[in-house]
Amino acid sequence: MALLEMQGVKKIYEQGKIEVPALRGIDLTVEQGEFTTVFGPSGSGKTTLLNMIGCLDKPTAGRIVFDGQELGELDKKGLAMLRRHHVGFIFQSYNLIPVLTAYENVEFALRLLNRYDQKEVKARVLRILAAVGLAGLEDRRPNELSGGQKQRVAIARALVKEPKLVLADEPSANLDSKTSEEVLQVMLKMNQELGTTFIFSTHDPLVMKYAHRLIEIRDGLIAKDQRREQDAVLN
Amino acid sequence: MLFLTRLAFKNLARHKNRTLITSIIIAFAIFFYILMDSLVGGMTEMSYSTLINYEIGHLQVADRQYWAEEEKLKLENLFTVDEQMMKSIQSIPGYIGSSPELAFSARLNNGSDELPVIGKGVRLEDFQTVFALADQFVEGSFFTPGEEQAVLGKRLAELMELEVGDYLILVVKDKNETFNTIEAQISGLAHTSNPNVNQNIVYLPLDLAQQTLNVGEQVSKVVIRMEKAHTASRVAAELEKKLSAGGDARLGVYPWNELEAVSFVEAQKIENQVILAIILSIAAIAIINTVILAALERREEIGMMKAMGLRNSEVVYVFVLESTGIGVLGGIIGVLMGVGGVWLMNTYGIDFERLYGMDLASFGMPVIGKVYGVWNPFSFAKVVAFGIIVSFISSVFPAYWAADKDPVQTIYHR
Repeated sequence: MALLEMQGVKKIYEQGKIEVPALRGIDLTVEQGEFTTVFGPSGSGKTTLLNMIGCLDKPTAGRIVFDGQELGELDKKGLAMLRRHHVGFIFQSYNLIPVLTAYENVEFALRLLNRYDQKEVKARVLRILAAVGLAGLEDRRPNELSGGQKQRVAIARALVKEPKLVLADEPSANLDSKTSEEVLQVMLKMNQELGTTFIFSTHDPLVMKYAHRLIEIRDGLIAKDQRREQDAVLN
Repeated sequence: MLFLTRLAFKNLARHKNRTLITSIIIAFAIFFYILMDSLVGGMTEMSYSTLINYEIGHLQVADRQYWAEEEKLKLENLFTVDEQMMKSIQSIPGYIGSSPELAFSARLNNGSDELPVIGKGVRLEDFQTVFALADQFVEGSFFTPGEEQAVLGKRLAELMELEVGDYLILVVKDKNETFNTIEAQISGLAHTSNPNVNQNIVYLPLDLAQQTLNVGEQVSKVVIRMEKAHTASRVAAELEKKLSAGGDARLGVYPWNELEAVSFVEAQKIENQVILAIILSIAAIAIINTVILAALERREEIGMMKAMGLRNSEVVYVFVLESTGIGVLGGIIGVLMGVGGVWLMNTYGIDFERLYGMDLASFGMPVIGKVYGVWNPFSFAKVVAFGIIVSFISSVFPAYWAADKDPVQTIYHR
């Protein structure tokens, strides 16, 4: 079943009187449970594509359907609710809330769902923090964590609510290879057990190694879309 | 919502300096208001008390036409106080005393200089049931009934170089517009907290004034003193009805709080409300400034919160709660400062004469000597509530401005 369908999606940014096309007409279908990597040179439109998929930005033209819902029909509030319940974001710059501890930053995502009681929230948060290797660092604030640790908190925050889709912009940029591997294993486990769809924007060969599907973007268009067999991955 | 509330309070603690500085601005605004309100309250109470005790009493009975031009002190539309009228007056609830009075324009002459003054013919035994002048003599005493004597303010006496025992001459025009003079020996000099009494009024026996002015038994007004000042308006209306029923329909009864001298004090209170509005506007600007700075500084954070699915209203909630928290903190600090300030003002008072070399009477306020503040808990509550509401309202628009930011632009610094 398709989680995401994009048809003729264009995005043009206006910089003064100059129009800068970021996406020139993207047609893309992403199935539920895919583990996909989008790659391409800087300025090719990867981040813009992720923002469109994550309902953070609206296309200039074309249509996007997420989980059967036409995004163009949703207002700001509707898009916010969709992001809250179904999309997890991992940004390269972490974007953690400085006044909250690692635990609270992760807890925040769950609290917004208003779905679990206190006990369940605590169990889930501690479990995901342990899974990304942050057990024992729950009470630290972002300014007391290293870059890699902050990135892991951001990853935990995106994963804790078990969304249908996780969008990750250079998730391994600040992680050493060992931690990257561990974190990717957590994501892969979620992908396999819960059917969570992952879309990465990255140049990291390690992340690309894990991907079932590699999409190359060039000049705002899909230049290559390569699927790999599950068994081929990691070999 | 609870989590967002916690987040808002954590943000307040995170920016301690900003929170404290903005709170202190609000606290000072609240502190100044409380202090001003207490001072104005004290001055107002003193002014009312001064006016009532030395000049206007609680109620004044006068002919309506006379009242319309009272300040001209014409010898027209006067009236005679008969027994039935006195019965009506004495039957009002909380009656203490009443004093018939004949007011007239005069020129005070000391033999070489002349000064316009207000002459007041009063009956001593009645006058003392209404006014507290007897306690305020600095030299001499009240005139003796039946004698051609006068009492005046110490300041007026100094101005005219007159002393107790001297003779003064009042040049007057009687009812027939004929010039006449009253020669009287000064029996006493008074100094009250009412500048009008001190500088402008000469008291004489009523019969002497009536005889000189050729008005027979007539008076300009009857001033009444009651037990409870706050019932004056109601009692005035009741008495007016009674007098009208008794055949004195032309007479009006005027409570102290509707008199011109009191309106002047009220006008000064309004002036202070304007100052309050200015002070709290400064607090509002501080809040707006704080929210905008916070929003600019936390652009990425706002973007991330929106990416996580926070609605604009939820982001607004966080910012507004932070500002309201600043308002509450400012309110608490302001009240604590205010309590200290009012306590000091109540204990030690403010001596304007010592501070500025001029007492408040020089500015037309009927207050002399130290001014003491009054405790007004309602005013404390009002200004704190107002400070919090100002903090809340002034943060709403900048918070919406912050919340409406495009998440992509804020996250990627575009």
